[in-house]
Amino acid sequence: MTVFLALVSMLLYIYVIAVIEASLRTGRVNAALPLFAALALLGRESIVPRKCDRIFFETAPILLLLSALLAAAVLPLAPGLMITDLATGALFINAALAYVLVALLMAGWGPDGAYALIGGWRFLGQLLAYSMLIVMPITAVAMRASSLLTTDIVTSQAELWNIVYQPLGFVLFFIAAMALAFLPPFDLPTAQGELAGGVEAEYSGVRLAVFRFGRLALITALAAATTVLYLGGWYGPWLPAWAWSTLKLLGVASAMLVAGHYLPRIREAQLLAWAWKFGIPLALLNIFLVGVLVLVLS
Amino acid sequence: MISGARAYTDNGVRRWLARAMARDLGTLVVPGLEIARLHGLDVGAAGLRSVASPRHASVLLVVGALPPALCQAAAVLYAQMMRPRIVLALGDEPLSPLPSADIRLGLSQRELLEGVRQLRVLLADGAFQTTAIDFEPAILSTRTEYTCPMHADVIRDEPGTCPRCGMTLIPREAQHDDHTGMDHAAMGHGQPEHKESTDHAHAEAHVRPESTDEDHAGMDHAAMSHGQPEHKDSAEHAHADKQHGDDHSDDHGQMNHDDMDMDFMSMVEVTRDLPRGSDGLQMDWLEVPFGPLFPGLPGGLTLTLTLDGDNVARAQASAPVGIEQARLTEPDEVATFVERISQTDRLAPLAYRLLVYRALENAANAVLDANSIRGRVGALERERICSHLGWLAQFGQQIGFGWLARRAAVLQLAARNADVRKLQQLRPQLVALTQRLQRTPLLKQRLRGIGVLMDDGGLRGPVARAAGAYDDLRLQEPAYQDLNFETVVRPHGDALERLRIRLAELTNSAMLIDAVGVIDASSTFAHMEAFHHLSGSGQASIETPRGAASLQMTLDQGRVISARLDTPSTRHLPRVASLIEQCELGDALTAVASLDLSPWEVMQ
Amino acid sequence: MKHPTMTTSDNGIVLLILSLACVGVVAGLYGFARAIGRTRPEPGKDVPASAGQMSRDPVWVRYHARYLGYALLFLAFDMEMAFMYPWAVVYKQEGVVALLDMGVFLGILFLGLLYGWSQGALRRQ
Repeated sequence: MTVFLALVSMLLYIYVIAVIEASLRTGRVNAALPLFAALALLGRESIVPRKCDRIFFETAPILLLLSALLAAAVLPLAPGLMITDLATGALFINAALAYVLVALLMAGWGPDGAYALIGGWRFLGQLLAYSMLIVMPITAVAMRASSLLTTDIVTSQAELWNIVYQPLGFVLFFIAAMALAFLPPFDLPTAQGELAGGVEAEYSGVRLAVFRFGRLALITALAAATTVLYLGGWYGPWLPAWAWSTLKLLGVASAMLVAGHYLPRIREAQLLAWAWKFGIPLALLNIFLVGVLVLVLS
Repeated sequence: MISGARAYTDNGVRRWLARAMARDLGTLVVPGLEIARLHGLDVGAAGLRSVASPRHASVLLVVGALPPALCQAAAVLYAQMMRPRIVLALGDEPLSPLPSADIRLGLSQRELLEGVRQLRVLLADGAFQTTAIDFEPAILSTRTEYTCPMHADVIRDEPGTCPRCGMTLIPREAQHDDHTGMDHAAMGHGQPEHKESTDHAHAEAHVRPESTDEDHAGMDHAAMSHGQPEHKDSAEHAHADKQHGDDHSDDHGQMNHDDMDMDFMSMVEVTRDLPRGSDGLQMDWLEVPFGPLFPGLPGGLTLTLTLDGDNVARAQASAPVGIEQARLTEPDEVATFVERISQTDRLAPLAYRLLVYRALENAANAVLDANSIRGRVGALERERICSHLGWLAQFGQQIGFGWLARRAAVLQLAARNADVRKLQQLRPQLVALTQRLQRTPLLKQRLRGIGVLMDDGGLRGPVARAAGAYDDLRLQEPAYQDLNFETVVRPHGDALERLRIRLAELTNSAMLIDAVGVIDASSTFAHMEAFHHLSGSGQASIETPRGAASLQMTLDQGRVISARLDTPSTRHLPRVASLIEQCELGDALTAVASLDLSPWEVMQ
Repeated sequence: MKHPTMTTSDNGIVLLILSLACVGVVAGLYGFARAIGRTRPEPGKDVPASAGQMSRDPVWVRYHARYLGYALLFLAFDMEMAFMYPWAVVYKQEGVVALLDMGVFLGILFLGLLYGWSQGALRRQ
């Protein structure tokens, strides 16, 4: 039952995030637009490019969706309201999200089109930049909680949210999460003005619908992860637990979507350079600071 | 009812889906959003969603007349759109080889709104209909021909065996006719090896007597000279190593997938004959078209980039929609000549119209009264504002800056037909835009050092002024001198400087309009009769939004018998190749976009 | 430390069912789209789109990745993260010793990063 509830709330979040994304694009709030867009895609033709790598091409959208869903599966929305409480939850998030790269590489290689190909390989470069900045901040969170269970991570923040305890980790994780979800300004693999859609360019109809849905699920999963890891999960006064989770999750997702609207796309060379010259030293510093704090406070 | 419907009976579920499709209109705009805005069309406000890939579009919106090259490109895009698809044409020019427009209306925002309304009805009713016609113009068709892997001169229309060696002939695709002229042998050429390696059992035994790795590189040569007789001629040899890249790419691509029987491949051996990148690594190069209808570049501008990974190894830039010199010098009545010139550059029509008038006045030794001159200054400066805003919107789109793309488009549409008072009201918003861009994080880092062009006398307009040159014809014009006009110049010559120059010119032009207090280019149209029997020659130049353009013309009894036009983009376009070679792909496209090329004004 | 109410294999089964259900739903969508209609084969339609040119060239090539310096460093750091997670869990129990142990380890790794930086690994090749 809780599994079902968690799934339904997940779907609702995805829909609301789709509405936010559409309103940012059109400048008008229209709650029905994503529904129409999805139905329209189902009614349209869906092509498989000639001489493509059929297995890669077909697997990519499903794999993207699956990796987002699996990552979301171990994130609690309220005490008990989650799909499964894995003993290695925090590590599992990483493992699941690693497949986003595989999905995008497949989507890039599959159709045998130049724009897609370049988009796919670009995302591999992007992974080199963001990956450590996802992994290292999560380590620091696990240090404080002394556990990889996501529910333990939330309860470890009962007194003080991690965003205050380890703000540096939060900032790094938030930015890296945007890069992982290839949201602007990190939309290198799908860049409209550079690759005319990139890895998405050859998907159409129902396949595009699944790809887009997977992307939205990924944003949702990352917003949920940020909430659980840094924003105290379901904690908060007055409102019930699930409501706090919902508010925080949608807040994080909106922030991710809005930020990209006001920034130009980052250059890949700079993304990589900054990630390794500033991001990783800062992430290591964050681990050290949290290490000291944990010892001092316990 | 619509030419791009899906051929299925309309049942309940399909009807619902069709209604949903009528609410979500992914749109490709041809020649481009920049042209649409110039005609005052706000595509987003009309309920159309501009998309980057034809796969995501259901509407092809054609704005105005399309030159033949763009008609063909649009037909290719249309062919790659998924059904149901629909053509909405604004303007009444022929679109062949595109199918005839499903809806055809005039060129205005009001009619665009009406068009979208009709379009929704058509889609909701006709997305599924019992019959549908295939879209198969000649430019898309390929013919399958059969050739011997050993004897390339053996080409048959039917499958069979080679008369000389008895091998089974292998199929390959050949282009029906050469359509854009840009794809040289590409179409016929990639394919033969493709098929060849699919049919590997045959090819291997003969082309590669010993199936050793060492022979691999050699085999490509064999395959190349066999597969493509056309490559033997010397003209093609000039491009030898470009094709090289292509041919290899083909083979290796197949290798990774089909050649499961391949033993260990030594990287050194297989990459032996590949071109060397900037870092000395030998890798396959790819030739990728960006344009003529690429979302990050103005419609009509065509870049063909040879990519070494995501690095531009070689670049070619062309503008198939440009002005043909032959057409320009066709003898013509003055009135039609004026129209023709002012329609050549769809991005700055007024500047070119004024240019012809100046040349005519020069031929007739006519002197304009002060009021008319001031009116022209106002009109020209308003066009400059619109042009720069249009560039900003396009540039925002290219660098993925959603807010800028939207904001600049809104301002451009507002400034388009604004009078002096309305432009005064717009000025604070232009200033705010400038300040906002100065504060935008990542923007400087994105643009600094990109596309550096230093002045050597060959640059024009904002591009030259961003490189430290006081290149501005307005400085020499008395009308501007009276207004104490000063031009903005910046030293570094990169994309960031070009952005700054154009931003500064936005406010400068607004102040100029404020000072002259009148926008009126109509006075120039009145005295056309004066030129009806004019003979002689005249020349003039004008500072268009993209830089100095000049025109020399000879008239005989009111007819233009010869003309020579010099435009800024004609000078900038040849610079593109050397500008972006060895740049990362994104940087290269940003550099090209920062030049604000108008493919329409390029002299062929 | 709280223990999960489910065993690891139970968790695995839930995740497996979730995955299968997801694939099932997607397959259902594909089936629905197929029932609505098939894609009409037309000339040029299945050629990958490239800005209005009919570019039939295959693009599967040995791609020249220019981030290989980063990629090598990434390998080193990614391996290290495999040790970090178990360490993070027992960090509180082990106390200062854990901090020093990992400090030395990370310190060496960080020196590696600095060395790579000095050798020009942190740039586009």
